[in-house]
Amino acid sequence: MNNHTIIRLENIGFVYPEGTALFKNVNCNLMEGGFYVVRGPSGSGKSTLLRLMNRLENPSQGEIYFQDRSFSSVPVHELRRQILYIQQTPVVTDGSVKGNLLLPFSFKNNKDLALPDDDQLKKMLDDFSLDQVSLEKQARNLSVGQQQRLCLIRGLLLSPSVILFDEPTSALDDESSRIVELMAETLCHEKGKTIIMVSHREFVPRLVKPIIIDVREGGIRILP
Amino acid sequence: MEQHIADIGPLQLAYGLIFILVSGLASMAFSLKLEKDLLIGTVRTFVQLFIMGYVLRIVFAMSNMMVVIGVFAFMIFFAAWTIHGRVKDRQIRFFMPVFLSMIFSYFLVSYIVTAVVVNVKPWWEPRYFIPLGGMVIGNSMNAIAISLERLIRELKSRRAEIEMKLCLGASSREASQEILKNAMQAGMIPSINSMMAVGMVFIPGMMTGQILAGSDPLTAIKYQIVVMVMLSGSTALGTLLTVLLVRKRCFNKDEQLVLRPD
Repeated sequence: MNNHTIIRLENIGFVYPEGTALFKNVNCNLMEGGFYVVRGPSGSGKSTLLRLMNRLENPSQGEIYFQDRSFSSVPVHELRRQILYIQQTPVVTDGSVKGNLLLPFSFKNNKDLALPDDDQLKKMLDDFSLDQVSLEKQARNLSVGQQQRLCLIRGLLLSPSVILFDEPTSALDDESSRIVELMAETLCHEKGKTIIMVSHREFVPRLVKPIIIDVREGGIRILP
Repeated sequence: MEQHIADIGPLQLAYGLIFILVSGLASMAFSLKLEKDLLIGTVRTFVQLFIMGYVLRIVFAMSNMMVVIGVFAFMIFFAAWTIHGRVKDRQIRFFMPVFLSMIFSYFLVSYIVTAVVVNVKPWWEPRYFIPLGGMVIGNSMNAIAISLERLIRELKSRRAEIEMKLCLGASSREASQEILKNAMQAGMIPSINSMMAVGMVFIPGMMTGQILAGSDPLTAIKYQIVVMVMLSGSTALGTLLTVLLVRKRCFNKDEQLVLRPD
């Protein structure tokens, strides 16, 4: 972790569309390369916090900054490429593992990116302990744990600098959970990615020293 | 060989009520509890059709372009309102997109049919424009309702997939492309199916009417062919415009899906 702020929330308020207020005057600074674990009672807004950070939701007041640029000044697809959001339940599409991995490259906004070749894809699968999985295999036939890793690789191909994990292990068994958590740690420890992870289970870090973000009663505190 | 159709007198029309009486008795005998609806339905059939008959008589007599267009627009407004009632979702305001898509596509199709295909002069001649336009509206209204309902249902149920694509850089169009396709297909399949079955399984109402009115069956089928292709065209155009406009309203400019799950 270095001393650069990567994401800054300034006076953030959030109100659900039906009118219930969730956050009020939330301020916080997240540092580049940090490993953050988001904690808090259910319904306190952990998921919404992540969704605000990659602009799946807009705050009702205040402004969020990414590397000192306000969110509203960055094209939304560029922001989402930099701040990757990994959903709670993995979503794969019909078709092969390769088809799923290359899905982002079929979008017009990503046409500037070089298409990875089979060797690169294979290497990624190996790195994430999916060496048994062939590129031609139907993605829907993978286990949930394997699908979650596939989704992570798919996002990593866009070279994000921040990765938001929304309870990535909630649908997984213990072993798969540990694999995903270790991968998150590795991405932070070795690649310098900023990780922000909502976790419902007791997370035992092996490589990093996590910082706790405590979300409750409409506010956010970074615990020392 | 055109001949005049036998008119139905008031007494003969009343004989028709015998059929309603039979249905009513059946309903009572088997406690179907349909007597009340049957009565209301019968009264509405009489009243609505009589009103329509008189209105059409007046409109035909006036022979004024603005009046014809006004009647046409009123029918479309009513159809759009019916669709609004059938599609249950109230998060997205879709009445105007539906109404505008219908006005545009139905007017275009009806105009081409009367002005170019049937070659009526003037193109708005009420005797042609109103019944043909009415058929377009009545038939493709269902298609629009089906595709709209499908669009909204899938946008809600496949939210995770849409957001997955948005998160990976897709535009809202790309993220909902497959859903748009499904919605269009769902709306268009019935009208394509009816093109397959027409003449084999059923004799269309309009053709029946023309034959009863004394037309040569070969004239009647030519009109029916025009109507069938006209219905496919208006269905395709109407559903396409509607789903495109409504989809646009389900997302905002920040590529967020604003349609919430139930």
